[in-house]
Amino acid sequence: MTTLLLQQGPLAGSAPTNESKVEAERLREAWLAQEESVRSQSFWKETGRRFLANKVGVGAAAVVLLLVLAAIFAPLITSHDPLVGNPADRLLGVFSGGHILGTDEQGRDMFARIVYGGRLSLVAGFVPTLVAALIGTAIGVTAGMVGGLIGSGLMRAMDVLYAFPAILLAIAVGASLGPGLTNTVIAVTIVFIPPVARVAESATRRVVSREYIEAARLTGASRIRIARSQVLPNVLNDIIVYSSGLVGVAMITAASLSFLGLGSPPPAPEWGYMLNSMRGALYVEPLVAMIPGIFIFLASVAFNMASDALREAMDSRL
Amino acid sequence: MLSVILRRTALAVPTLFGVSIVVFLLMQVLPGDPVASFMTEDSTDAERQAMRAELGLDRPLPIRYFDWLTAALQGDLGYSLQRRREVLDLLTQAIGNTMVLALASAVFGIVAGVAIGFVAGIRRGSVVDRVVSVISLSGLSIPSFFLAIVLLAVFSGGLKWFPSGGAVLDEGLGTALRHLTLPVLAGSLVTMAITARVTRASVVDVYSADFIETLRAKGLSSTQINRHVMRNAISPVLTTSGVQIGALLGGSVLVETIFRWPGMGMLVFNAISSRDLLVVQGATLVIALCFVLINLAVDLAQAAIDPRVRAGVA
Repeated sequence: MTTLLLQQGPLAGSAPTNESKVEAERLREAWLAQEESVRSQSFWKETGRRFLANKVGVGAAAVVLLLVLAAIFAPLITSHDPLVGNPADRLLGVFSGGHILGTDEQGRDMFARIVYGGRLSLVAGFVPTLVAALIGTAIGVTAGMVGGLIGSGLMRAMDVLYAFPAILLAIAVGASLGPGLTNTVIAVTIVFIPPVARVAESATRRVVSREYIEAARLTGASRIRIARSQVLPNVLNDIIVYSSGLVGVAMITAASLSFLGLGSPPPAPEWGYMLNSMRGALYVEPLVAMIPGIFIFLASVAFNMASDALREAMDSRL
Repeated sequence: MLSVILRRTALAVPTLFGVSIVVFLLMQVLPGDPVASFMTEDSTDAERQAMRAELGLDRPLPIRYFDWLTAALQGDLGYSLQRRREVLDLLTQAIGNTMVLALASAVFGIVAGVAIGFVAGIRRGSVVDRVVSVISLSGLSIPSFFLAIVLLAVFSGGLKWFPSGGAVLDEGLGTALRHLTLPVLAGSLVTMAITARVTRASVVDVYSADFIETLRAKGLSSTQINRHVMRNAISPVLTTSGVQIGALLGGSVLVETIFRWPGMGMLVFNAISSRDLLVVQGATLVIALCFVLINLAVDLAQAAIDPRVRAGVA
């Protein structure tokens, strides 16, 4: 999925310059038509229609929505305290003693912990993806448009971060910064910036070689204007598709850090940490001990399926 | 081919240089005063300054980097105060175990992934294709540490088929395989999933190429055609395999910890718990170094088997 996008080779060469007036006029018309189509909303309507026609995608999106709503309205969904439990009720099975998902090793209600913990996991999934998408796009588009020494210098710097296995880089950054949700988010963001920058750069180079960019340049549009009105709208699809696939990966990476003790310190109900702290209960209440893992899996599958459906809905235009 | 080898190898040098800068900087962003742990509450400012000077912290960053790099190149990665050992000693002791586990996982994951991805690709849209896509989607979405825990609970705790952990590699092949099975399965499912996806996409791509039509028109059997498809579809798979091995090395921190596999991953985990950051730094450096070399090897292998890559066309 993501790997395929990374392999798009650079399309070298630029549009030929033609100085004849007729050609210039044709190019100008091409540019105007392009601005028109960029502003039109029909592409997004079409994408939305295609996405809604995909049952798997809609189902996955519904699960994502459900998780988000549950996290936001956690206090309305459960009356149990996620942080304080009754030690006498420790390790109850599912549906026992008024606990839908049982209790953990300190007698805390698992359902409450999962629902409140969803806030942390969703933040760890969305925030790094969003921030990395913004920074990565800025770097990639700049590198792609400026080109030359500065452009390739920027991309070589990104390559250096690529020389680390992603999870190891996240762990190393997390270990240096110390435990905590903010540090986890920073670590995952750093890991995601280079791949987004690569996608943005290769898309930008593809767009820059098109005729309508040449046309915009001939009509005297500034670099910044070309970047904003011509390049960005045309590379955004690639970036949105790619980044949407990162949310699930971000959640798993953050859960890994939390599992290793680098997430929010206890008693915060982070799913990865819960899974680790319940390892001892695996032989007493296996189902309850696995619940945090099941939710990480469920959320990540939902994000990946929704992302696949989004890509298909946007791709079929091409 | 020789010029290709030289060019690619030369390109790896600045990358390695950059890697060393990143690893060095990682240790500079540490929150808090590095001198604090050597000081008591009634230490004076002068004593702090003296300690800073003794540790070399009063010198400019580039000079400290240069000193650190020179030492690292000579094998001096520092001394772990927590473990009372040279960091390099700890790493050399652990690296073998990690390599065995990572390579076994890579071989299993890549071979299995190519096999199911290939079948799914040539039978596009069939039931097999759908089953493979469900397997690979699940493989991508399941965290290796969760899978490891489930495997442990079922096959070690419940059925008692496999040991619960440890690396016993020198008591015969059978014992070694029994200790390897669960960690390999837990680590390699993601590898298999990604490889299967890439293989399938590549096979579908090659199948739609014109030359397949030509082969069919020439009257080749489907086995013969598949052989052609395989040879043409393997390049993207090779590209990802380097990344996969790197991911397995990095992911070893999680899998090794759960299966108490005495490799670099477990070393890193223990070092994180005890805030033994020199060990984290050293292990990160060594793993990144391996990763760069593996990718270089994959690059060269690709150039060796694919003339298009050699010429820089594909």
